[in-house]
Amino acid sequence: MTSPRLALPGATVRRLAVVGRRLSHVWRSSLELRTVALTVVLAGVGASIIAASISVSIGANLFDQRRDQVQSESLRATLLAQSIFDSATATEDADQVELDSLQNEAQSAILGSTSSPGGTRIAILRTPGQTTARTIQNIASPDFPADVITSDLRRQVAADTGSLALQSVSLASTSGGAAPGIAVGSTLQVPTAGQYELYLVYDLGDAEATLALMQRTLAIGSIALVALIALITYAVVRLVVAPVRVAAETSQKIAAGHLEERIPEKGEDVVATLGRSFNGMADAMQRQISQLAELSRVQQRFVSDVSHELRTPLTTIRLAGDVLYDQREGFSPSAARTTELLHTQVDRFELLLADLLEISRFDAGAVELELERITLVRLVEDGVAEYEPLAAETGSEIEIVARGGYFETEVDARRVRRIFRNLLGNAIEHGEGRPITVEVDSDPDSVAIAVHDHGVGMTEADAERVFDRFWRADPSRRRTIGGTGLGLAISLEDAVLHGGRIDVWSRPGEGSRFVMTLPRVVGRPVDSWPLPIRPEGLS
Amino acid sequence: MTPRILVVDDDPALAEMIGIVLRADEFEPHFCSDGSAALDAFHNSSPDLVLLDLMLPGMDGLEVCRAIRAESGVPIIMLTAKGDTVDVVKGLESGADDYVVKPFNPKELVARIRTRLRPATEPTNDVLAVGDLRVDVAAHEVRRGETAIPLTPLEFELLLALASKPQQVFTREMLLEQVWGYHYKADTRLVNVHVQRLRAKVEHDPDNPRIVTTVRGVGYRAGSSA
Repeated sequence: MTSPRLALPGATVRRLAVVGRRLSHVWRSSLELRTVALTVVLAGVGASIIAASISVSIGANLFDQRRDQVQSESLRATLLAQSIFDSATATEDADQVELDSLQNEAQSAILGSTSSPGGTRIAILRTPGQTTARTIQNIASPDFPADVITSDLRRQVAADTGSLALQSVSLASTSGGAAPGIAVGSTLQVPTAGQYELYLVYDLGDAEATLALMQRTLAIGSIALVALIALITYAVVRLVVAPVRVAAETSQKIAAGHLEERIPEKGEDVVATLGRSFNGMADAMQRQISQLAELSRVQQRFVSDVSHELRTPLTTIRLAGDVLYDQREGFSPSAARTTELLHTQVDRFELLLADLLEISRFDAGAVELELERITLVRLVEDGVAEYEPLAAETGSEIEIVARGGYFETEVDARRVRRIFRNLLGNAIEHGEGRPITVEVDSDPDSVAIAVHDHGVGMTEADAERVFDRFWRADPSRRRTIGGTGLGLAISLEDAVLHGGRIDVWSRPGEGSRFVMTLPRVVGRPVDSWPLPIRPEGLS
Repeated sequence: MTPRILVVDDDPALAEMIGIVLRADEFEPHFCSDGSAALDAFHNSSPDLVLLDLMLPGMDGLEVCRAIRAESGVPIIMLTAKGDTVDVVKGLESGADDYVVKPFNPKELVARIRTRLRPATEPTNDVLAVGDLRVDVAAHEVRRGETAIPLTPLEFELLLALASKPQQVFTREMLLEQVWGYHYKADTRLVNVHVQRLRAKVEHDPDNPRIVTTVRGVGYRAGSSA
């Protein structure tokens, strides 16, 4: 993935990738950054459009104004010069000297009449192709840029006498660059000397300088404006986001168990309302949780008390019953039978009480695993050995198939043993004297024990309810072990406490199969099944 | 001579019933129904064994246990109504040798008492050596050099069981059978807690035991496992 396609060393690419990831993380995680960036982009675009249109319209305005000014000035200058020449011819017969002095007079009059800043340059050129009695010399101001008067312009001026010809030109400025200018051409009729062309060249550099200054001002102003907007946005976002951030941090703390954490409530605005609602919610939650904790504590206390209070008299009854039971041979037959009943029912009562207490401990969450390392196969062998006499009574043979589970597993051995005894006891009880198979196996994540009988079995609906408390598949069924009806419910709780599960497969007349699966590491959820839930060889 | 048993229990019916059972098995029961009076009763009756209820008015059963243990190694069997594992461990750590969970039956109770009262292993004149300890079987005494280390009878038997077969690794179940007299699966925490108590008395450094060493996954043995 990180193969450097560019000719960059791998380390650089990686560093760039890291920087890129960090930037993208900052981008995704910072609402301020995103908001400010968006605002800056939009405000920047807006300011640019405004500045550009202002600049264009002002620039056009400036140029138009100058052109009008230039035009009227040129017109005035032409008229002035013409009138100087005309008045001279009206009074006297002009000679060469007079003509020259007239020309100088006209030139200085023209220069005097112009008021354009940046200086006006002037040239009076003879229209080529005339033969007249006299001629006057072409004159030009010393810095007259002769190259800007194109022959096109000259032809246009010569052809169209009586009006002005304007042309935009580029002037070499003193600083070496080019400055805009306007060249204006008109014709003068000099008596006895024929037609001359008057050229005035105006420098528009000052207008351009004004425009540039204004553009600079606009640019700086726009940038400052955008920066100001960014700053304001940042401040506003901070103002709004800060309380939200506080709320997020506070709810994290509350979730982590610091139930007493609250948001400071200030003011009357929507943020303060948020804080107040949040705190109200936290108060309610804290109340509920402490109430539940208190209930749980009371429940545990109750279980403990019941345990003591019930067990003490039960012990006395038990001792008394047993003492009587041991002496029953000396009793009358009915009294002897009574003691027997007392004896067996006290046993049953005891089991029931023990299971009830165990269940209520689960309900109160007052159970803890006591982990030790055991070998599952050995646990199963011990359990089977223990139940063999009972199985022999019903005629069931128990076969152990241990493909795995020879290593030491960390489990609560007491609970796992209890689960196995329970499953095996049930299998013997409902096994109809047919063979029972106990399987043990493991995979890298889980260990499992399966107990499979070929007895009465259950319907699917019954199998679903088999872990319910006090539930019996068939109330009329004969019981040899005398379960309490809580056995499987407790087994399931025991398995779940390990992070494991118990699955059941059952069919009427074919038998039942209970599979206990426990994770190798306690608490990790089970997601693999070393032993199948459905019997092998069954679709 | 009939062994004297001090029954410390606040339930008069249960105490009386236990008394009947004990008398039937030829023990001599003494009674005390208040935790704070238990120590006086202990001094007055100088019993051979104490049956102690953990939940008592006056003084808590655990405290009574500690108080008796502080001055005597007399066997103590807790009567506990709680199956709660924490309480059992607390009781054992306070010095009780064994425990019986209510409701128990008479045979169970008597069997527990007899195991704790039975004469110590066949009296021999052997003196066994474990590490730098000398275990004098006849005198029921453990010495390190000249110093006698006071052990309760149970701790002595535990050490003796291990020391008599120094080559053998004992599983907790074997020790439960040999020292506590359980012939069926019982609570292996009995062994764990008492091994800790024994180590606290005989080891130089209980965290790094040399006398009673743990064989991981199996059990315990006397001396170094090397």
